[in-house]
Amino acid sequence: MTGKASLLLILGFSVIFLVFGRNFASLSTRGVDNMINYYDETVAHDIAVSGANMAANEFFLNNNWNAGFPTTSYNGGTFKVTFSVIDAFNDVYKIKSEGNYNNITSDVEITLKPSSFSKFAYFSMSEGGNIYWTGNDTVWGPFHTQDHLRASYHPTFMGKASSFKSILYLHNEAADKPNFNGGYASGVDLPLPTDGVSKLEASAAAGGFVFSKTDYTKDKTVYLTFAGDSIKYKFSASGPETTVLGSTMAPNGVIFAPDATLRIKGTVKGKYSIGASGNMANQGSIILDGDIVYNSNPMTNPNSTDMLGIVAENDVVIANNSENNKSINIFASIYCENGGFNAEDYDSRPVSGNINLYGGIIHKTRGAVGTFDTKSGNILHGFAKKYKYDDRFLLASPPSFPGTGMFEIVSWYE
Amino acid sequence: MGFNVLLDIIGSVIIGGMLLLILFRLSDSATENAFNYTGELTSQQNLSTVVQILEHDFRKIGYCADWQKIPDPTKSILEADSNKIKFISDLLPDGHPDGNIDTVTYYLGPASELASTPNPNDRLLYRVINGISDGGVNLGVTEFKLIYFDALGDTIPFPIAVPGAITSMEINIAVENTSGYDNKYSSVFWRQIRLAARNLKNR
Repeated sequence: MTGKASLLLILGFSVIFLVFGRNFASLSTRGVDNMINYYDETVAHDIAVSGANMAANEFFLNNNWNAGFPTTSYNGGTFKVTFSVIDAFNDVYKIKSEGNYNNITSDVEITLKPSSFSKFAYFSMSEGGNIYWTGNDTVWGPFHTQDHLRASYHPTFMGKASSFKSILYLHNEAADKPNFNGGYASGVDLPLPTDGVSKLEASAAAGGFVFSKTDYTKDKTVYLTFAGDSIKYKFSASGPETTVLGSTMAPNGVIFAPDATLRIKGTVKGKYSIGASGNMANQGSIILDGDIVYNSNPMTNPNSTDMLGIVAENDVVIANNSENNKSINIFASIYCENGGFNAEDYDSRPVSGNINLYGGIIHKTRGAVGTFDTKSGNILHGFAKKYKYDDRFLLASPPSFPGTGMFEIVSWYE
Repeated sequence: MGFNVLLDIIGSVIIGGMLLLILFRLSDSATENAFNYTGELTSQQNLSTVVQILEHDFRKIGYCADWQKIPDPTKSILEADSNKIKFISDLLPDGHPDGNIDTVTYYLGPASELASTPNPNDRLLYRVINGISDGGVNLGVTEFKLIYFDALGDTIPFPIAVPGAITSMEINIAVENTSGYDNKYSSVFWRQIRLAARNLKNR
């Protein structure tokens, strides 16, 4: 009797233990399954990201690459990359990468568009030797320099900043570290092209307006005044002025003066790029004789479609004249392929107020626009800088404005 | 005979009592283990769910199907605090983009909101899109902690005045069982050391 009871007792406990054990094992298995499922999803996602990165790299190296990748084994799974055209006219493309791991799929889609120099609030190949960005400086919009980024007392960069060379601090990192409010990347190699101006000239010849060199054989100078819908030009300071409708003169908005100095001012209505080329003295530079502003101010009207690109083979210079010595307003993206943006007689002209620039500066070498007392900071000659970025340049460019020759990622979906 | 019977009864009672005690202890232990195992599984599943939703949304910071609507993605984070973040993205409540900008807010509610649950530490993690919350589902979140890093990888101290300086973030999530055996709550923890939403670095 006792033996049977003991046997039943042991059997009963065994059954109970087995049931509990099975349940616990099941819970553990489900816990591991849960972890594995998350791991699989993570790996599938990482594979998709890898495929997208590889495809983007192929495309950056060769802008004609559009083959995509067939189903390719990678990291224990597979990825497949397809390439498609979203907007053929504006060269907008999409790369779609599909990662697969243990029958779990993950998609990554990236959108790319051509990159224009006009997107920069500030760009330079050289920072002019030993010029530092200081705590008094705020750069609004994207920034890039091929030089070192020299910082003193926490300059602020509101847009994405990048440099090819490293950051140099005047004192040390703690005292000088810049405020990168839009991110920062170093080692970004983005040189100015050598054919940006010539491409603009070709565009002007194709559907815009190219001044004839025979019209300005003497002074080698073209005076151009934007007057709303009209554009006025002449070939000497006191010569007769010709007035034409802007849209008739340059249907594609590109106006070019080869082997000349271009002197400009006025009120721009519409989208224009103006350029000047030349390697002789006083050629290939664009001189600002006065305010150059938009008919519809984009600071007060974000829907303004007025836009100007000033593209010089050499310098863009603020003339030393009475009109400019009471501040100057410049609405444009300025591009100097071999020179810089500067002020005439910057170290001897009178105190000239502010440069109210609404746009961007893309130049080879940083130029000077004035001098200041190193102790008080007061301007001694020339201008104080009031530069504001025109956000519209993030999405749009003046016609045929020099491009970087590269594409940029404008959207990343994952 | 009487004495022997008495001894048998006493012996039986003692042995039977011991067996009963063992049985009760076994039952208690089994219940505790079952509670804890199930609680851990539930917590782990809840954590996995929360993390998948977080990763889904946070990877889309600054994304819009119509990319021209966010011309400068570096300004996509609108507010950033240690347990709250507000950003723009393109998310419908079902998670799919429609080409319109949405404002997404994540924040951890106070523990007092879930005072009725046995666990005194659990809170509601709110996911609010365009001012509309998904509603309260208690997944046992006890910690939602964010740490932000600037472009040079340095930690940005709170309060963060310029959210645009954020280029990556660390996300810490802890989930506990909403009810535990004998007030012992199983806990699981997840940390994303550097989540860099790709669109923050575009342009």
